[in-house]
Amino acid sequence: MQNLKTDVLVIGAGPAGSMTAKWAAKHGARTLMIEKRQEIGSPVRCGEGMSKAWLPDVGIKPSSRWINVEVEGARIYSPSEKVLEINEKHAGNEVGYVVERDSFDKQLAIDAANEGVDVMLKTAAISLLRDDGHVVGVTAKQSGQTFEIRAPITIGADGFESQVGRWAGLPTNLQLRDMDSCIQYRMTNVDSDVRYCDFYLGKVAPGGYVWIFPKDEGLANVGIGVQVSKLHNPADVKMYLDTWIAHHPGYAKGKKIDMVGGGVSISPPMKQTVANGILLVGDAARMIDPLTGGGIANGCIAGKIAGEVAARAVTANDTSKEFLQAYEKGWRAKLEDKLYRNWLAKEKLVTLPDETFDKIIDALQDVKLEKLTVLNILKAVHTKYPEVTKEFEAFL
Amino acid sequence: MPSKKTLHIESSGQICIYCGACVGICPLNCIYLDETRITFDEKVCTRCEICVRACPVGAIAIG
Repeated sequence: MQNLKTDVLVIGAGPAGSMTAKWAAKHGARTLMIEKRQEIGSPVRCGEGMSKAWLPDVGIKPSSRWINVEVEGARIYSPSEKVLEINEKHAGNEVGYVVERDSFDKQLAIDAANEGVDVMLKTAAISLLRDDGHVVGVTAKQSGQTFEIRAPITIGADGFESQVGRWAGLPTNLQLRDMDSCIQYRMTNVDSDVRYCDFYLGKVAPGGYVWIFPKDEGLANVGIGVQVSKLHNPADVKMYLDTWIAHHPGYAKGKKIDMVGGGVSISPPMKQTVANGILLVGDAARMIDPLTGGGIANGCIAGKIAGEVAARAVTANDTSKEFLQAYEKGWRAKLEDKLYRNWLAKEKLVTLPDETFDKIIDALQDVKLEKLTVLNILKAVHTKYPEVTKEFEAFL
Repeated sequence: MPSKKTLHIESSGQICIYCGACVGICPLNCIYLDETRITFDEKVCTRCEICVRACPVGAIAIG
């Protein structure tokens, strides 16, 4: 395998990587995206629910190729299963989609490729190349052969299990309390409702929640995330989900047709995501929303900025971390306050006993929640239970 | 202090669902995920057992 050269090298072809690569190419940079798997988007490691308001901003066109269901709202269940139902249908909105993640990822990679990005599959970065304190590409491996890819800008979009950031000395390490371990079954013959994504809070899923994301009539992703610091025995996560299912007849009668797992960071935003010649984006940059566990939107929003800044850095022939601050500032302006607020909210919520969740959900029954956003819900909690939101009321 | 215990990652697919949870949490960055196969660097691993806790399906054991 011959050594390669490019302007912008993107490691990882998930949504954040494809989005970064596409926008780098759109701004004139010769861009190469490498993916260690043989198939982009597969195996899926995702609950597959996402909001939709952000899609036009980053240039993603909704398509039936990757949308299973358009949902109208959410139902949040307290431990004694009082339910807070938020439906935006009457306001003429659909709040989000349940998607076919592998098809979604492939479509974003196609969009990138059509913009001129080169894509290499089964190609893994195994270490960084450095020159005079700058990252200048990677040593890569493809089909057992090792070679170099040189690039003035390298982008780590290598997901939750990112190694690129750690190689670059960027502080992506997670504490046990900063991660939820997740598992999910796709189940058929269940009593899910295609209009709603459902969330079950409390000790059914310590430090996380159980989710039901509908894929079709009677077909849903049934999953759970549990904070790793709250796990004690091997396979506890699976045990929690199996227990939840066993206690819910509408799901206990279902049949499992698929099983996926994964890690989700629930940490505060990273202090630094750039170094000389390199930047991190998406799950690799710990941009997952620590309250909802959602990572696609943030990864794509940051990816667009990363691509633009990377292309500008190449044109300006300046790949110093000072120049790359434009990316650091850009993504923080869009995401940081929300990430920080939701992290504070999550820190509080994981300490609450089941009785408090019951009281809060009960108290919210008479609040008219028009729009389904985390901010709206937290504001409503604030009006009813200011002691719960005290630590982060400045962000409400 | 590294212990003499061995880390066993069942990664033939019998238990492991190659989700990468252990890779992301490993404080020494010594676990790798290649498509559907997990490997780790025995020389670097200190048997801290953090990955044992993070694995959602119980595919990792220390013995």
